[in-house]
Formats: sequence, C-alpha cells, structure tokens
Amino acid sequence: MKNTFARFSMLASKVNRQHVQLVLAILALAMLVLGIGAPLDGGGGIR
Amino acid sequence: MILLLVALISGLLAGLGWAGWQHRPYQAPALQSIWLAFAAFIPQIVVAYLPATRHLLPDWLGSIALLISLILFAAFAWRNRHLPGMPILLAGLVLNLSVMVANGGWMPISPQTASRLIGKDVLGLMSVGSRIGQKDILLLSQNTHFEFLADRFLLPDWIPYTVAFSLGDILVSLGIFWLLAHPSVKAKMPPKERVHLDYI
Repeated sequence: MKNTFARFSMLASKVNRQHVQLVLAILALAMLVLGIGAPLDGGGGIR
Repeated sequence: MILLLVALISGLLAGLGWAGWQHRPYQAPALQSIWLAFAAFIPQIVVAYLPATRHLLPDWLGSIALLISLILFAAFAWRNRHLPGMPILLAGLVLNLSVMVANGGWMPISPQTASRLIGKDVLGLMSVGSRIGQKDILLLSQNTHFEFLADRFLLPDWIPYTVAFSLGDILVSLGIFWLLAHPSVKAKMPPKERVHLDYI
C-alpha cells in the first residue's frame, strides 16, 4: 500500500502544469469541433 | 463525427511531429475561457450524443438546446479568434449555424444523400422531416433553405467509409487542423543566440 502510494506520488509529480493545460485544451477543442460540426456518419457504407 | 476527429488528431500529430523535428516541446494553444466550451457541450450531450436522453426531449426543445449550444461555442471561438486557424473554424461555425437556424434548428440532409449512407430500405421507413443521426433532419432539397450549406458532400467511392458533410464542416476541419498544427510551427530563437545577436 505504501509502495503504491509512493509510486502514485512520483507519477503525479511528473505530470506538470503544461501537460494538464495541453489535455484541457485538446478536450475543449474536441468538444468545440464535435459541437459545431454536423456531419452524418454512415459507417462502413452503402454505395 | 469521425471526419472531425480525424482532422483534430492529424492536426495534433502534425504539430507534435513538427515540434519534435525542431527539438522543441509542443505548445498547447493558449485558449481563453475554456469553461465556455465545456458548458456549451452539455446541451449537445443530452440532445445529440447520449442515446438514453436524445429521444426524451421533443424536437422543438432539442433544436433550441442545440442552437443555444452553438451560440455558446460561437462565444468561445470569438474569445479565441486571435489563434491561428480559429477564424476559419469560426467561419465554419457561422455557416453551420446559419443553415441550421434557417431549417428549424437541425442540419438538413436530402433523401438522395441520406440514401447513400443508410440505404433506400431504411430510408423508406422514414418520413420527410424526421431526425436522422445526431443533428440532421431529412428534408427535400426544394424545401431546404441554403441547400448549398447542408450536408450534401460525400467522400469519394474508393474510401471505405461513408459520411455526409457540409461546407461548414470542411472549414471546421481545416480550422482545427491548422490550429493544432500551427502552435509549434513558429520557431523561437534560443535566449543564448538572442544575447549574441544583441552584441552584434
């Protein structure tokens, strides 16, 4: 348990502010494009 | 949806690749008011994306929620209009918003185009004016306002995936690609070299 916590703490310390900002920005932009785009998917396709 | 995600992922990969080529860390676009994007997406989850809720709302209420969401997204894009690619994305948003407002809040698609996606058998069971997919509505071309802005384009036959998209969707895809590919393109001179040049 102690070992797991130590590993988690080490991992968390590696995640810096820039990484969090990048993830948030990508997430917001994904929402933006999915929100404003309106394509209709047909999938595998009927031709 | 896949089309837009492909544009987003390829823009990100292009940006990461270019940053790697230049041995510099990839810079995320400096977005302002990110909360607006999250808030704007909530109505769309309910109306378009969540299968459990998308049929709970009547169509008129769904279309109002969708338009409110698009207006919030427009505010978000406007706040970030200084970013590269965002003006193209904003133009795509305006085109999609215009055609949707003009056609009762949904993106129109003609039976001819829809038949290429879902097949004539399935289409035969649907009536004109019924919702199709996440945000589309089946409308005859002659009854569609701004038909040239509707979901009317299809991918070439040799691509094994079918999707109908609008002119607005093309601009949105180009805008997001440019936005994510661009931030790392601008080369910055290292501080040491700058000092050196100052002496010259």
